[in-house]
Amino acid sequence: MTTVRGLLSRRWVLVLIVVITWVILAAALKGVSTLELSTAADTPFTAWLRDLAASIRGNRTKSPAFLYFFNPIRLGVQGFIEPIRSVIAVPAEGDLIPLFGWLGVVALIGYIVYATSNLRTSVLSMALVFGCGVLGVWADSMDTLALTLGAVFLSLLIGFPLGVWAGLNDRVMAVIRPVLDLAQILPTLVYLAPLALVFLIGIASATIATLIYSIPICIRITAHAVRSLKAGPVEAAQSMGSTRWQLLTKVQLPMARQTLILGVNQTTLAALSFVVIAALIGAPGLGKPVIDALTIRNVGDGLTAGLAVVLLAVMLDRATTAAVLRSQSYVPVAGPALIRRRIGLIGGGIATVVAIVLSRNQLWAAVFPPQLNFGEEISAFFDTIVSWVTSTFDFLTTGLNTAFTTIMLNPLEGLLANSPWYLTITAISLVALIVGGRNVAVLSVFLMLAVVAIGLWHDTMITLSQVLLATAVVMVVGVVLGVIAGRSERAERFLKPVLDAGQTLPAFVYLVPVLALFGPTRFAAIVCGVFYAAPVVVRVVADGVKGVPSDMVEAAVASGSTTTQVITKVQLPASKKSLLLGANQGLIFVLAVIVIGGLVGAGGLGYLVLVGQSKPELTGKGLAAGLAIVLLGIMLDRIAHASAQRSDRSSS
Amino acid sequence: MTESADPGASAEAAISVRSLWKVFGPKADSIVGTPLAGLSRAELLEQTGCVAAVRDVSFDVAPGEVFVVMGLSGSGKSTLVRCLTRLIEPTAGSVLVSGEDILKASPARLRELRRTRFSMVFQHFGLLPHRRVIDNIAYSLEVNGVKKEMRHKRAHEVIELVGLHGYANHYPEQLSGGMQQRVGLARALAVDPEVMLLDEPFSALDPLIRRDMQNEVKRLHRDLGKTMVFITHDLAEALKLGDRIAIMRDGAVVQMGTPAEVVANPADEYVADFVRDVPKSHVLTLGAIARPAEPGEYLDGPRLDVTTLIRDASPVIADASGPIVVIANGEAVGVVTSDDVLRLIASEPTASEHEAR
Amino acid sequence: MTNTRGTTVILATAFAATSLLLAACGSTVNSATSSSAAAASPSTSVSGSASTSASGEASKACGKWGMAMNAWVGYTASAQVVSNVAKSLGCTITQTKLDEAATTYDAMEAGSVDVVIEDWGGGRWKEWVDRGAVKELGENGNVGLIGMFVPQWMCDKYPDISDSANLNKYAEMFKTAESGDKGAWYEGPPGYTTIGEKMVSANKLNYKVINTGSEAALIDLFTKADKNQTPVLAYWYTPQYFNAKVKLCRVNFPKSDWTDAAKASGLTDYPETTLVKLATTKLVESGDPFANLVANFKWTNADQDSVSADIEGGMTPEAAAQKWIDANPDKVKAWTGQ
Repeated sequence: MTTVRGLLSRRWVLVLIVVITWVILAAALKGVSTLELSTAADTPFTAWLRDLAASIRGNRTKSPAFLYFFNPIRLGVQGFIEPIRSVIAVPAEGDLIPLFGWLGVVALIGYIVYATSNLRTSVLSMALVFGCGVLGVWADSMDTLALTLGAVFLSLLIGFPLGVWAGLNDRVMAVIRPVLDLAQILPTLVYLAPLALVFLIGIASATIATLIYSIPICIRITAHAVRSLKAGPVEAAQSMGSTRWQLLTKVQLPMARQTLILGVNQTTLAALSFVVIAALIGAPGLGKPVIDALTIRNVGDGLTAGLAVVLLAVMLDRATTAAVLRSQSYVPVAGPALIRRRIGLIGGGIATVVAIVLSRNQLWAAVFPPQLNFGEEISAFFDTIVSWVTSTFDFLTTGLNTAFTTIMLNPLEGLLANSPWYLTITAISLVALIVGGRNVAVLSVFLMLAVVAIGLWHDTMITLSQVLLATAVVMVVGVVLGVIAGRSERAERFLKPVLDAGQTLPAFVYLVPVLALFGPTRFAAIVCGVFYAAPVVVRVVADGVKGVPSDMVEAAVASGSTTTQVITKVQLPASKKSLLLGANQGLIFVLAVIVIGGLVGAGGLGYLVLVGQSKPELTGKGLAAGLAIVLLGIMLDRIAHASAQRSDRSSS
Repeated sequence: MTESADPGASAEAAISVRSLWKVFGPKADSIVGTPLAGLSRAELLEQTGCVAAVRDVSFDVAPGEVFVVMGLSGSGKSTLVRCLTRLIEPTAGSVLVSGEDILKASPARLRELRRTRFSMVFQHFGLLPHRRVIDNIAYSLEVNGVKKEMRHKRAHEVIELVGLHGYANHYPEQLSGGMQQRVGLARALAVDPEVMLLDEPFSALDPLIRRDMQNEVKRLHRDLGKTMVFITHDLAEALKLGDRIAIMRDGAVVQMGTPAEVVANPADEYVADFVRDVPKSHVLTLGAIARPAEPGEYLDGPRLDVTTLIRDASPVIADASGPIVVIANGEAVGVVTSDDVLRLIASEPTASEHEAR
Repeated sequence: MTNTRGTTVILATAFAATSLLLAACGSTVNSATSSSAAAASPSTSVSGSASTSASGEASKACGKWGMAMNAWVGYTASAQVVSNVAKSLGCTITQTKLDEAATTYDAMEAGSVDVVIEDWGGGRWKEWVDRGAVKELGENGNVGLIGMFVPQWMCDKYPDISDSANLNKYAEMFKTAESGDKGAWYEGPPGYTTIGEKMVSANKLNYKVINTGSEAALIDLFTKADKNQTPVLAYWYTPQYFNAKVKLCRVNFPKSDWTDAAKASGLTDYPETTLVKLATTKLVESGDPFANLVANFKWTNADQDSVSADIEGGMTPEAAAQKWIDANPDKVKAWTGQ
């Protein structure tokens, strides 16, 4: 134990020496070789990308790659999604309602949930969908639901077989794993522009972007489901002479059912959480009002739409979770329960059919009744609340913002961005060498040189400084709340709904209130990053603290430790692995939001991505910024990963 | 390497294993047949990073015999039994089942053999949780393409055979451990195999249930006469069920023989340690202590067969006034007196000694 | 006992199939031409659909077209007025919310929208025009003026601040934590036409350009500065409904010509911009009544502001547009020729 501490502290002493030297040199060389570039300026690389993008746009109707590959995919995806929309969301030409009116949709959702889980969840689901109508966003909600369900279906169609394959075959897994890892750290904002370039703005691009986000999750869980099966039954089936196909269809897949349904759950939530950002490239539905809230400052409507997203998320989550729970037992219902259930299914089915017929023939059942639509009131209510909060706490937020920016952010940005690039690269790679080892240091140097070559070094460092600070704040918040939740079940019960909401609420929704509170500043982006990443970190830390064996804690208490001592000397050190995992997750989540922070004044790479999307003369710059974000993400992830592994090794 | 099948392999035996090796590790193929094969387990691991789980094992199992492989955990017994049906692919050696070399079978032929000739019972049952008892039992018939009606008929037969009447439509999670293993047994019997392989089938069960199940196996063996390879770490179980016992240590067989031989003449300290606590009178037969009659002893006492367990003979011996006569094939081969029995019992550890260990 | 789960699935599937079959039968709601039904309809993205069959018979055949909806209110006002008029001509207009410039031009090339009713882009569409996807249809009558603004109270207090030559004198006042030792120059959102960096360097100003990222940020800045009497220098433009709410004062820079993006160097200020209409070649060449309407559409800043103000005041865009149309029949007639 003492040697471990010795090793650790020696490592930190080295880091400290590097940082102090860095600070001194940076102060001396301030403003030298910062590679700062104005927004409108191009580098050779970005100019090349810009011309490439222009030639791609010009070739959309001519090039064989488009005629025989991209365009058919686009039309295929569109042709798949549109019919789903026409059932619940978009009326046909000249029609008042889609195929089903609101009552029919509510009933159908209720029936499907009842058939796959239970009555209680079914009633809850119907109430939540109904709530979308009350919020005044029925049509947008249905459009979002249609797109989500379509995307989930396609995700499963592609992800499920790949996941099974990767689960069965180590070589396939070895090929797929790096792709999955990359997908996990890729901030969603960066692949919108390339997709829009080849699939154009519209439903197809939005769906494909959603797929890129949700398929890796589906593959991961499916592969895990197949891999983590109990060995016994599989071996027994092999010993009885099953072929591989028989093994798969008669044993492995049926046994993995519960985890597979969990995969459906996760895939669905991922697809839904992508709705808002997909609106940037033409997804219809609830995403657009949320983004409009930002572009034309309409807090109320944005929050209302955001709330509808949450309602849909809760509905889809509960419905699929109930299905997971129901599949925990392999024993089907029997006896009186079965008879009750059959009666329920038949009765519910008849009721559903009646509701659908009504919804197509009665106005009140077809169009969501205006008397029940409280959208405007709710939106106005949100407006009032937000303006009250911003005006009341203005003094506090301004002070906090100024203090944080002056004391922490400006010095760090000065260190990273306003000192010579070669100094920053040297310093970062030395830190990487000390905490992560040689391989990571070499990789970091390579990635940072690539950023320099792209020509976006200065902007990358601006983004990096925000990411690092936000992660630090997230870790403080995460450890404090995580320890509290990990130690007290009551606190955990209290925090759970907050964390749940925090994880389902699209990050865009709180950009506007935060903007109102802190103005267009880097601090606003940091606050958003903290909001977004904190729930995950709290979860990971709480799980880590709960995972500390109780006899360890009891031994410490028995030997007279104070609560603080128990936390700092036993629970935190023992859950070090969770803390590092939390830091890694926190970094990735923060990065995803900091780049969106370009919308609230964060500048840096995220802003360039957004500029590139709307100004054709800056497309190249935007694409290059996306690439730089990816490189930055890989570097941060690898360093965090390697340092976690290293400290893991040194403590074992 | 697999070509080095011992010419002494027996075609008459139900199973004939010769020079079987299983090496796990990075260079598993480059060990057997080199000097490395002579290294101890620890040395081998250090020099090559490989572990020889089964090393140079040979034995024959006669048709209808119950052959028990016994050893502590990590001795390689579970790996050995899996090598017999290539659930684990052996590194070298040969396995003949009714004269056919399993190791040379094509994947299709191997499946065929698994479906019809072997069956296996597992320590943790390995039942398919999503299938009813009857569909678990009928599984191997199902994968072999037997029609539903036929395979359910057969499954019902075995259900009766193992005492699972009325449980056909239950799911495994609704059954106790003992009942689940009855399903495991029934499943193994369903294909009417030539050879049953039982891998510590009762280790996960409570002691009382374990005894019931052991008796069940004895009964099934008596009624059906299947050849069985039975893996266990429990000597009492080995002695109770086995016609012959092979004791394994670090992947190799250290002794092979009938229960009486093993108990009476442990091959080395390892085996001796095992059998020290066994009440010899429960294992040894009169043959083990019979001696030629001394002059003056009367030979008109009760006559008992040479294969009678001493424990079973002792009431008779105690009641007899003189020595009893031990006969084999109707001929007297020796005598036993109560003194002889007492001497044997005296050589066993006392109860206090027993507890002290 | 058969597989009960299977039966459940069969039952559920059977009902789902029945529902779909039923849906294939006629819908009395959809076939009804009741105008009350249309009025009860929540603001879906498809406007004019319900009344198509009612008014469509009377007029010349008008097709189904897409109108790009950019975010700002002035745009919404123009686009909604045109949509409402088109509806009365029997056209079916699908409104699609889109970011301006490249995003919208791409959507036009892809065929999902056909009209941009108010473009500020200063020729960014050239690439799409060259490819023959988009045509410029001339001015829409609105004149836009972008610029750097301060709240009115500053112009009152420091009358010379509206001359850019004095900005450096006041730089100290505009310092924030974001701008460090320079004055803060809040730049417009990513999609908007911005030349802040060039203006700062061409006019040798001691200011740092801060990219705000959204119009919401600018509105917040000005609202706060107006309320708390704090200094701020930020990007803004007219026509904009917000100008009626918060009085702003434009800082004037030396004039320069920037109509040609190629002559960008040395830019010192934003000139007045005549806003233009764009349409897809497909629409222009169709000879459709809608093409005619878009080509003729022209109104003033005052017209647009009145509709914008109504929308901001809480009317739906449809209602606000209809109010203006009802009040200005002559102007509408000039567009439609009816």
